[in-house]
Amino acid sequence: MASPAPTKPVEDSIAKVNDEVAVGSDLEFQRKWWRFTRVVWIVLTGIVIADLLGCFGRGPLANARARTSDGTMNVKYERIERFSTPSILRIQFGPTAIHDGKIQLWVSETVINSLGNQRVIPQPLTSTVGQNGVLYTFAVTTIPAEVAFSLEPSAPGIYHLQLRVPASEELKRTIYVMP
Amino acid sequence: MYTILHAIIGYLFLLLIVRVLSRRPGAQMTPFEFVIIFLIGGVIILATMGNDRSETNSVCAVIAIGMMHRLVSSLKARFPVFGRIVDGTPLVVLKDGEWQTEIMENMRLQDMDVMAAARAKGVKSLAGMKYAILERNGAISVIKKQQ
Repeated sequence: MASPAPTKPVEDSIAKVNDEVAVGSDLEFQRKWWRFTRVVWIVLTGIVIADLLGCFGRGPLANARARTSDGTMNVKYERIERFSTPSILRIQFGPTAIHDGKIQLWVSETVINSLGNQRVIPQPLTSTVGQNGVLYTFAVTTIPAEVAFSLEPSAPGIYHLQLRVPASEELKRTIYVMP
Repeated sequence: MYTILHAIIGYLFLLLIVRVLSRRPGAQMTPFEFVIIFLIGGVIILATMGNDRSETNSVCAVIAIGMMHRLVSSLKARFPVFGRIVDGTPLVVLKDGEWQTEIMENMRLQDMDVMAAARAKGVKSLAGMKYAILERNGAISVIKKQQ
């Protein structure tokens, strides 16, 4: 025979209004909640303003430029990137970077792995893996010469971008990838 | 891994946003509320799924959201304070024929919202109501005056 289902006597535990309607209202808790929501809305407004400014990427504060002191490279990049979101890293080369109608550029492996390089424009003549990065050789057809890397970060984190034209100053920058 | 994390974060964030939006979206679905529900849902799903539209990804996301829902339900049943945080408490918006203005203002309720619920109960005017209670699910219960 099946055992009886467990039961519990009814208790009139719900708070009543005017001692006649069981509502279970808790106005003190509600007042605390209203105070909490006011703080939440202030925080949310701050987040939206920070986002408009680009603190989380894709805005004026996220866009950055850097150049080597010898004028070999002029780099346009996003110092704050977003996970799995495309961006462009542009490198303009000065005349000192060009030798025999070619430019060599070494990029750190973070550009390939963590920052998720998808494409290099223009197509390099050669690309050699080594020294914790990749050495590209590009043919120069116009001056100023420009190379663009199409990035799409593969994971959130803080990464170091390193770029170098052989026998010139190395450019190091930190890139934050938001989740 | 990211899908599970995104689903959990999305669930908790959506719960917070819907909760701080006050209780109106829960029951009285005017076009104003439809905009919020559909837009927020659409935005969250994009971040949860990302570029991975595989069956594996969607199944994992659904399981993660289901587990979060079960966890929150269990915590609500076990800890009444948690239940109050997630669902709120019923609020008396009209008592003995008088508006409770502090509640009306903070919950962004209008007398028309209460009157809509009253009409559904067959109450013809505000004078015919003794109590109106904003329930935890966003519905408004009306108790008529005794004749």
